[in-house]
Amino acid sequence: MIPLSWYLVLAFILIGLGVYGMMVKRNLIRVLIGAEIIGNGVTIALVALALYNSPFTFTGQGLTIIIIAIAAAHTALAMVLMLMYHRRYGTVDLGQPVRQEEITGV
Amino acid sequence: MQGFETLFEQVEFILLAGLVLILAYLALEHEDIVYAAFFFGMMASVVAGFYLLLEAPFIAGMQIAVYTGGISALIIFGVLLLPRAQDSTLEVFPTSRAKRIGVLITSVVMILSGILALLFPWPESFVSENINLSQNLEELAKWLWGSHGIYVQMTALIILTALVGAVVIMKMEKAERLEPIKGEFGIEAETHPAYTETQEEEQ
Amino acid sequence: MRLFIDFIPVLIWAMLAAVLVIVMLFASWVLRPHVLQNSEKTSTYECGEEPIGPARVSFPYNYLTYTILFLVVDVLGAFLWLLSSSSLRFTEITVWQFILFTGIFMVGIWYVIKRLPETYLSGSETVELYQKARASSKSSSAHEEA
Repeated sequence: MIPLSWYLVLAFILIGLGVYGMMVKRNLIRVLIGAEIIGNGVTIALVALALYNSPFTFTGQGLTIIIIAIAAAHTALAMVLMLMYHRRYGTVDLGQPVRQEEITGV
Repeated sequence: MQGFETLFEQVEFILLAGLVLILAYLALEHEDIVYAAFFFGMMASVVAGFYLLLEAPFIAGMQIAVYTGGISALIIFGVLLLPRAQDSTLEVFPTSRAKRIGVLITSVVMILSGILALLFPWPESFVSENINLSQNLEELAKWLWGSHGIYVQMTALIILTALVGAVVIMKMEKAERLEPIKGEFGIEAETHPAYTETQEEEQ
Repeated sequence: MRLFIDFIPVLIWAMLAAVLVIVMLFASWVLRPHVLQNSEKTSTYECGEEPIGPARVSFPYNYLTYTILFLVVDVLGAFLWLLSSSSLRFTEITVWQFILFTGIFMVGIWYVIKRLPETYLSGSETVELYQKARASSKSSSAHEEA
């Protein structure tokens, strides 16, 4: 068997990469990709911890199923909100939201 | 045989971990957002390999069905719908101060999760040492549908709320688009100079 | 028997697929003529037409609704897949839970399909509104002149 710490280190690096993407990037779609990478790291850690702690094996797997289902819901809602942001500010830039009227001068 | 199995498992873990980390880095750092979205989809399908190593075949299948099939398709579709997201000038942060704050928050989160991953005594806090290697889906189905059915219904309600919210936001978007056509100060509410001129000529 | 031993054929197939792609790309790189690449050569090929603008254009927004519907049905299918692939003995409570779960999803999908015409601006609707606004502005200007 692989030691538990290998999985935890992998999940730790994935969470770090995702937080870096969410904090440093300006493009909204890349921020969303960072959030999904955090979700993947968390599910790997949860399934590994549940497997190595045998009374909670199926608790961890069931909770992972629910996490994946809710990740689908929040991605759909985030995408629609991003569409609305694009409609209102004319860009997907988080750095400087500008009203569309100021760009086009209407 | 046992030694070969352990060695094979470790080699497979290192291979998959290297692939996942390279693909996640490319998904965040590749300058073209379309390629980044495709790299995210590949990363999500390689993560399913870890669930096979962790004796969770159903979660591996669900990861491929929902993450690779649904979420990464939605992200690629979002990139197609928002052409301004493909602007490569978005990849450079305007001020170095904002970037420094982002790196600072990232390092704080990484220190906290590093303490949890490396220093926290996980194996000592476990109830039992032996590992449950059963792969039958019956136990999982019994846990999810039999004894914790309220979680399933709550998930369904959350997804219903997300659907209704998405449709309501799309309706608001349409109302905002209709405004320049039929609004009080819309384009068509004013008299069109070229149109009125032709009308006068006809009269 | 560990699970990943069963999936060794999948690993072999994945490696075969990767090797095949690399070999084919390399073979085409060897076989193709290495001529000078100019902007005329690398532009999008359209028969007898000058290509206008970039190839990545904006799609109508309302296609996103269909993708979200696909995602929701995907999640529904994944939950029911667990129920169908396990040999769980159904009790009365499980059946009622299944009916309630599917019912909530169906209410959401029904709502989306019912509201679908209100979420995007179709071409005929735009033309109708445009003509109506034009007629009203014409009548109001005629009224002012009179």
